[in-house]
Amino acid sequence: MMRSLLTLLAALMIWAVPAMAQQGGPLRLEITEGVIEPMPVAVPDFVADTPAAQELARNIARVIAADLTGTGLFREIPAAAHISRITSFESPVQFSDWRAINAQALVTGAVNVDGAGRVVVRFRIHDVFAGQELGQGQQLVGDRDGWRRIAHKVADQVYARITGEGGYFDSRVVFVSESGPKDQRAKRLAIMDYDGANVQFLTDASSIVIAPRFSPTGDRVLYTSYETGFPRIYLLDVTSMGRRALPTLEGTMAFAPRFSPDGRTVLYSLSQGGNTDLYSMDILSGASTRLTTAPSIETAPSYSPDGRQIVFESDRSGTPQLYVMDAGGGEARRISFGAGRYGTPVWSPRGDLVAFTKQSKGRFHIGVMRVDGSEERLLTASFLDEGPTWAPNGRVIMFTRETQGAQGEARLYSVDITGRNLRQVPTPGGASDPSWGPLQN
Amino acid sequence: MNTGQIISGAGHLALIGWALFGGAFRSDPPPFEVVEAMAISAEDYAAILAASTAPEAVASIDTPAPPAPGENAPALASGADTAPAQSQPAANAAPPPDPVPSPPEPVSAPAEVADTAPEVAPPAEDMAAVVPQVSPRPQPRPAPRVAPEPVAPSEPDVRVDDVARPEVAPDAGAVVEETPQEATAPEEAATEIVTEAERPRDPAPTASPRPRARPAAARPAPAPTPAPPTETATAPRPETPRDTPPATDRSAVSDALAAALGQGTPTPERPAGPPLTAGEKDALRVAVQRCWNVGSLSSEALATTVVVTVRMFETSKPDISSIRMLSHSGGSATAAQQAYEAARRAIIRCGNDGFSLPPEKFGQWRDIEMTFNPERMRIK
Repeated sequence: MMRSLLTLLAALMIWAVPAMAQQGGPLRLEITEGVIEPMPVAVPDFVADTPAAQELARNIARVIAADLTGTGLFREIPAAAHISRITSFESPVQFSDWRAINAQALVTGAVNVDGAGRVVVRFRIHDVFAGQELGQGQQLVGDRDGWRRIAHKVADQVYARITGEGGYFDSRVVFVSESGPKDQRAKRLAIMDYDGANVQFLTDASSIVIAPRFSPTGDRVLYTSYETGFPRIYLLDVTSMGRRALPTLEGTMAFAPRFSPDGRTVLYSLSQGGNTDLYSMDILSGASTRLTTAPSIETAPSYSPDGRQIVFESDRSGTPQLYVMDAGGGEARRISFGAGRYGTPVWSPRGDLVAFTKQSKGRFHIGVMRVDGSEERLLTASFLDEGPTWAPNGRVIMFTRETQGAQGEARLYSVDITGRNLRQVPTPGGASDPSWGPLQN
Repeated sequence: MNTGQIISGAGHLALIGWALFGGAFRSDPPPFEVVEAMAISAEDYAAILAASTAPEAVASIDTPAPPAPGENAPALASGADTAPAQSQPAANAAPPPDPVPSPPEPVSAPAEVADTAPEVAPPAEDMAAVVPQVSPRPQPRPAPRVAPEPVAPSEPDVRVDDVARPEVAPDAGAVVEETPQEATAPEEAATEIVTEAERPRDPAPTASPRPRARPAAARPAPAPTPAPPTETATAPRPETPRDTPPATDRSAVSDALAAALGQGTPTPERPAGPPLTAGEKDALRVAVQRCWNVGSLSSEALATTVVVTVRMFETSKPDISSIRMLSHSGGSATAAQQAYEAARRAIIRCGNDGFSLPPEKFGQWRDIEMTFNPERMRIK
């Protein structure tokens, strides 16, 4: 009897406690499902403080909008839909007008060109529905010729303020520019803004160049050239355009270079006597250290962001797979186990992922996996996708896609690590082997 | 072989011999009954059998002589047999024919059926079931007095003191300090004598009026009956006084006005009302989810769970200024800020037109705590 009473009391308590909790406290809900769609953002033309800044004000706003929408995370509301016009940077924003067109973020700014010809840009970011400013307004000053960089920097600030992660718009990409038919293709090193603007050629087409790699500071480029008949590694200063070949042994082939995070060491592959192994070289002294001694082919090394580990490609298991080992050498740990061939691994700037090229069932893929080999995701698939490189924020990957056939051409593409927002990067002609540089100062 | 063994062997042999031949193993036959028998011949045996089975034949039997015919013949009393006449049941007489029912008197039908429904006078006050009488609150019994003068206190009981004391009188002219004290409250009195029979009834209502029925929908006007054309002056219809809207209607109107102006009404303390049903909660959850856009959040923000509190207006719109982040987990402060801003946008955007919430339960949803957990939305 007593036991039954206790059971009844317990049941009553179980029933009554939640009811009492709701009676006394706030209503509690858990939201676990949302939507994934681009955020509507309005970027009206910036206000020109002087007539000379009229065109700049409009162009800067257009570049900012293009940067934001190019990420796939934002959707610009066209100017024709705007109700309010921003005529003064200092005037209060009529949030109701922007709310009415469902703009969730609003970027306003003003451009001035001072007497010295410098461009001064002020901007603010607004949360429309909250009716308040996101952060504080900022001001950027630069040369008139560098107005695009100013626009990219504004876009970086907007991106970082809304998404919570760093931007990548004020960055450059070095790549191999290709021209001519497939069997006589001319290759030159080129550098451009991340969005394909401001292309500059670093080398001529007299020799084949491949696999350029930016230094961590973005002022130097390593690349492999066949100008001597054998592949050899060169170091190019982007500013002065001066270059020098890194020391190597006669009768050997050196290729696939990559900077260490501190920019002092170069990892590369050296082929000698039919065997290819990994080496590291101190750039100043030119001294090399052998890291692997296996009879198999080890190549395409890449440092982790902290410089303590190396991910590379090896066929020691019979097929090309990905391995990780300490930066000083030692035992390697295989991390790729899927069906197919893996190659060209690149460690993410965040350190959490490794991007790679995968060949499986006659198709090529760009994919990512965790550094322990788990959670492999293939982001692309085509006749030939290869050579991934990470954006500075670790959110976007750029790679080479080559089309099939005699008229096939290599182009650069970018994709979000979610696999969405696949876009072609505009380049003058064919392009391959991209290497994404850091954010510029 | 010693003597003992010889003696033992001889003894054993003797014992065995006695057992075999002395009748130690012979048992007496069981007793049996002895019967004397006698030998007889076959003829004797057959004679014995015949004597025991066949009865002895009777030689002669004495039988009486039959009477001679005609001698003392009994006279027959009865004649020749005749067939008995069977009595047939009498046929029932044919029943009299049923009387032809006389047709009922035709009921005179109403001359015409009026198209208009009969006017049913609504009950003036439709009373519901009588509320059970509850024990009324005790109320002070009216004092049966009319005059408000206080009554002088009764004399205390006189008692003979055990100790005789001399009389002590205060000195003439001496100042006696008297402690101030309140005057005696007059006994409760009423303005008139009220008896129990005249006691007023319990003021509490014993019945609750039913809610008023909706006014009947406008009925189509009955077909105009042909009437002699007469010129009648159309009298102006008296203006019916407009009913004053009840308080709830006034509140609804003011709420609607506030909603139209984008303002909320202050939130006075009200009864909480019954808890929200699961369906009502789900409706609110779905409404917020519809506007919770995590597409522009960083990977770290997508790994951050934030708890956001919001106070609601009675118009079921969120008070934007009251939205706060209570706590966060799983990410840095920067990531939590991004996640919170996305959650805030969701609340504001989808609450812009008001959530679908039952107004009678306002007390239940006035304060809402939402946990935005993007785990399912995260990129694995």
